[in-house]
Amino acid sequence: MRGIYLMRDDRWVSKLLLAPAMLVLAATVVYPFLSALVLSFRDWQLSKSPEPGDFVGLANYQRAFGDPHFINSVVVTIEYTIVSVALSMVIGLGIALLLFRPSLINTVLKAFLIFPFAMSPALKGFSWRFMLHPQYGIINELIGRVYPPAAGFVWLGQPFWAMFWLAITEVWGWAPYIALVFIGALGTLPQDAFDAAKVDGASTIQTFWHVTLPLLSPIIVMMTLLKTIFSVKQFDAVVTLTGGGPGRATETMNYYVYKSGFSFFDMGYASALAYLLVVAMFAFAFFYVRTLLQREV
Amino acid sequence: MLTAITGHKFLPAKLQVDRVGWGIVRVLGLLATIIFVFLPVVWLALTAFKYARDAYSTSLFFTPTLENFQAIFSPPNSFGPLTINSVLVSAATVAIAIPIAAMAAYAFSRFQFRGKNALLVSVLSVQFIPPVVIVLPFFTVFRDLRLLDTRTALVILNLSFVTPFAIWMIKGFIDSLPGEIEEAAMVDGCNRLQLLRYISLPLIMPGIITSAVFAFIQSWNEFLFALVLTRKEAVTLTVGLMGLNAERGIIWEQMAAAGLIIMVPIFALSLTIRKHFIQGITMGAVK
Repeated sequence: MRGIYLMRDDRWVSKLLLAPAMLVLAATVVYPFLSALVLSFRDWQLSKSPEPGDFVGLANYQRAFGDPHFINSVVVTIEYTIVSVALSMVIGLGIALLLFRPSLINTVLKAFLIFPFAMSPALKGFSWRFMLHPQYGIINELIGRVYPPAAGFVWLGQPFWAMFWLAITEVWGWAPYIALVFIGALGTLPQDAFDAAKVDGASTIQTFWHVTLPLLSPIIVMMTLLKTIFSVKQFDAVVTLTGGGPGRATETMNYYVYKSGFSFFDMGYASALAYLLVVAMFAFAFFYVRTLLQREV
Repeated sequence: MLTAITGHKFLPAKLQVDRVGWGIVRVLGLLATIIFVFLPVVWLALTAFKYARDAYSTSLFFTPTLENFQAIFSPPNSFGPLTINSVLVSAATVAIAIPIAAMAAYAFSRFQFRGKNALLVSVLSVQFIPPVVIVLPFFTVFRDLRLLDTRTALVILNLSFVTPFAIWMIKGFIDSLPGEIEEAAMVDGCNRLQLLRYISLPLIMPGIITSAVFAFIQSWNEFLFALVLTRKEAVTLTVGLMGLNAERGIIWEQMAAAGLIIMVPIFALSLTIRKHFIQGITMGAVK
């Protein structure tokens, strides 16, 4: 629909405008993307040889499915994704419902909601690790006051709680952001649907279940997909909060790929693992992009 | 009471109870939200100004000090060079990515050409490639080019995620501008270059600045690439956090001081683009 007003001999202008960005993307994205695919079919122990070794077909991929540590990382990633997505969405929606009506305190709070999201994820991990410190962590102190038996508990030393707090660290950044998205959406909902519910004598909870939630469902779908994509590639906070531990309890796929490539220098295997991560990401990204483009039109 | 509630004429009383109940829920919810959102930031900020002995207690009252900032900016720590690295890498990434992204975005928004939709979907999709896929092959490429542990290497890799994001974001801005002004300028005899320079560019400028701020924040917070590619010379602030270790473990009060240096500029920047934050991350999915 746009561009009708442009003359035909201007075609070279569009090519000229596109060329630099496309060259940069070809060099920094397309090249490594294809290069990693080739690497994934080769054997290459970087610690032993500076040059790539033989082509080994699908051996790296076969090895992945027999590798208990990789299977573990898949399970960890799935668990982590479910917990962090669910908590982010529920808490985000809760904050949105609390703050969406205009008032002074709500306006001030809304301005601060972007801070957790803008904070460096690596720093988030360290910050929560400090707050969870068994001796001088503020969260330990607060929980110990409410429930004394939990005082001095080593939260990150226990698989279940390490996973829980890793998810909470991520939820802390995302829930306020998701809340902002929902607040924007709540403002655009048709008021007559709420008026009708009121006339029918619907309670607050009924109104929420039967009016608000269905009206928000397109945004809920979009945000769930987006949050899932970001959870699946979680890395930074894993390094700085738990280091994948205790044991391998919080070792996500992304972290295991990183370890295989840059701790064990097994480049071929790491590339194959990375491609399995790509497949997982693209499955979700496909639905996200499709929904996005449908809304554009 | 039960019959009273079911009777229609007592509905206002029921709503009254409803309202008081939800009032309490609202106040508790607000309190919980405030604690949840602010605690990690406030606690980090307080710890940054504590002496070691106060940092290892949870007291709210302490004598403030700038000791931790002095400590991280003097040997053996070197947050001075790290800050310079972070600033230079982020600034260079923005300086390269934003102009080329703005040009591409303008072409996507204002021109029709063959393969446009396929190209657009590709630009959108590359953002979903996990960064670890990008860094694996580049690690050996940079090793061969002797670019490991250089700021140049970081800028090159940052372009991989900043460029597509900026193209998509600026395109959104241009799409929302009516084309009539540009059409009128063409009718009035503006040539192509004059049109871009004097009409289109000033119109798009707010969008360009917003995405530049976004790009800066993304590069500043980047962690994986810097962790893999830098050792000593080109280490950035986020990776520098990893170095604040002593025999007794992480030196938390210094980590907090470093954390403050990382987050304060980002908080200031994020406030300037507050209105566009939502559209930015969702790639315009939510308007």
